[in-house]
Amino acid sequence: MLALLFILFAGLAIGCALAVVAQRNPLYSAISLIGVFISLASLYVMLAAPFIAAVQVIVYAGAIMVLVIFVIMLLNVEHEDTRRTKIGFLLPAALVLAAVLIAEVAFILVSVDKASFPTSAASSIGSTASIGSQLFTSYLLPFEITSILLLMAIVGAMTLARRTKELSPNTRVIPGAQLLALNIVDPSKTLDDATAVETDTTEEAARLLGVNSSRDPSKRD
Amino acid sequence: MDWQPILDVVLKLIAISVVFVVVLFVVAYTVLAERRILGFIQGRLGPNRVGYGGALQPFADLLKFILKEDIVPDKSTRFIYFLAPVITTIAAMMTMIVYPFGPDTTIPFINKTIPLVVARFDVGLLYVLGITSIGVYGIALAGWSSNNKYSLMGGLRSSAQMISYELALGMSLIGVLLLSGTLDLGAIVGLQSRWHGSSWFIFAQPLGFIIYLIAAIAETNRVPFDLPEAETELVAGFHTEYSAMKFALFFLAEYINMFTVSMLATTLFLGGWNVPLADYVFGRGTFLFGLVSVIGFLAKVIFFLFIYIWLRATLPRFRFDQLMSFGWKFLLPVAILNILLTATLIVVGFYGYFGY
Repeated sequence: MLALLFILFAGLAIGCALAVVAQRNPLYSAISLIGVFISLASLYVMLAAPFIAAVQVIVYAGAIMVLVIFVIMLLNVEHEDTRRTKIGFLLPAALVLAAVLIAEVAFILVSVDKASFPTSAASSIGSTASIGSQLFTSYLLPFEITSILLLMAIVGAMTLARRTKELSPNTRVIPGAQLLALNIVDPSKTLDDATAVETDTTEEAARLLGVNSSRDPSKRD
Repeated sequence: MDWQPILDVVLKLIAISVVFVVVLFVVAYTVLAERRILGFIQGRLGPNRVGYGGALQPFADLLKFILKEDIVPDKSTRFIYFLAPVITTIAAMMTMIVYPFGPDTTIPFINKTIPLVVARFDVGLLYVLGITSIGVYGIALAGWSSNNKYSLMGGLRSSAQMISYELALGMSLIGVLLLSGTLDLGAIVGLQSRWHGSSWFIFAQPLGFIIYLIAAIAETNRVPFDLPEAETELVAGFHTEYSAMKFALFFLAEYINMFTVSMLATTLFLGGWNVPLADYVFGRGTFLFGLVSVIGFLAKVIFFLFIYIWLRATLPRFRFDQLMSFGWKFLLPVAILNILLTATLIVVGFYGYFGY
């Protein structure tokens, strides 16, 4: 039963990972990556680490990938060109590296002693309470340094996003400036006369139109 | 052959089906209740023609949705356009399984004790928060795939609002977590059954409750936080281009989300299935106690749904920048303050006086 579930989730993770690389539309790649994360979360649950599974979904699939999807949508990343890119020397290099990777995985699979792992149901390493207690006692320094790291990231983002240049000297922002068509200000003119009448403040516009623009609602009629 | 696992799976499927049907019925009648209550508050009757007092109106609406013409925009991204309502609905429905509807009840004739919750997780609360995070995708993808700039704006605004208020939501729940010491929702409800079922966490965490309520209303895109789907602002926001059954799925998902956050509020703050003095009258573990507990739970959830509808009839909506600044500059600091306050009071021993 457990083996069946493992095959299902692992197959889903591998399929979605292949889809991430093989899709042409970047949004489909992002969605496939979300599928990978959710499959990994299911595998974590099967390994008796429910906290990590939930945090994987909340942080990775729920926050980081939302950011990636926002970026893809707002930057309007297009499909790749259909013209075949020149691969050249990359294909043999990829084959060599893939062979090295497969050799490493095979070595690990052969030489690891499978009997000495604890069974998943018995250990309580993955429970929330034990992670929490370890995080605040043995791993306190990395915990605090990670929070400083996140603070650095936030400050860095705010610094990068600030407007560093001043506005050009030709821009004028006048609060209350209105642009009225002449036939609104002067009802005697015909509707065709749309000459612009520029005012600088709300009070001036109100005077031209003949209404009371006081901010106090009791003084308005 | 070992029948036990298969029997377990079948029982779980039956439990899931029961919860599914209950949720669909409650949500369908919430739609009707909203229209009628809105009508009464606005000085008119709501729909009351179909069936007695409008009781068959949801079925009429369902029929209408099924028979409507399904319009698909031509240049939309097809796969994502069909995927978005599916993601939203699945994320909305997946959280149903962790809420305890009642205590472990003994059914009289079979003499079997069944837990009235579909799945007991150790990390039930984190699971709910995780699935709520996934629900953001449906809206963002729906807005983008409609190939319509108003939908895109509405979708982005709505998802930005949801991820902002998710933070305040999670933080407001940390106060309850500190008091209960466990993420298991069944255990949290069990902790609220002292004093004959009236040691609810709302008395210990009033500020947390208010923050949770505001964040939950913003999370489900309801008035006063429903600018992204307001008719006058962005046509209909991210579900402008959806018609017939796909729109019905979005609509359904919104009400199921309302139901979900109401159930979470009931479970964490209002004591879940604890009805005060019920164990004094009926005795724990009996069938009548279980029945009264389930009815009490549903009554509390319906009370929250009534508050949602009442707020919809009463308040105007926030502008989007007001909404975002409220979420980040006010609600989040207050939630952090709540955590600090709760932690300090626990250390000082204030809650010890009340037995928490």
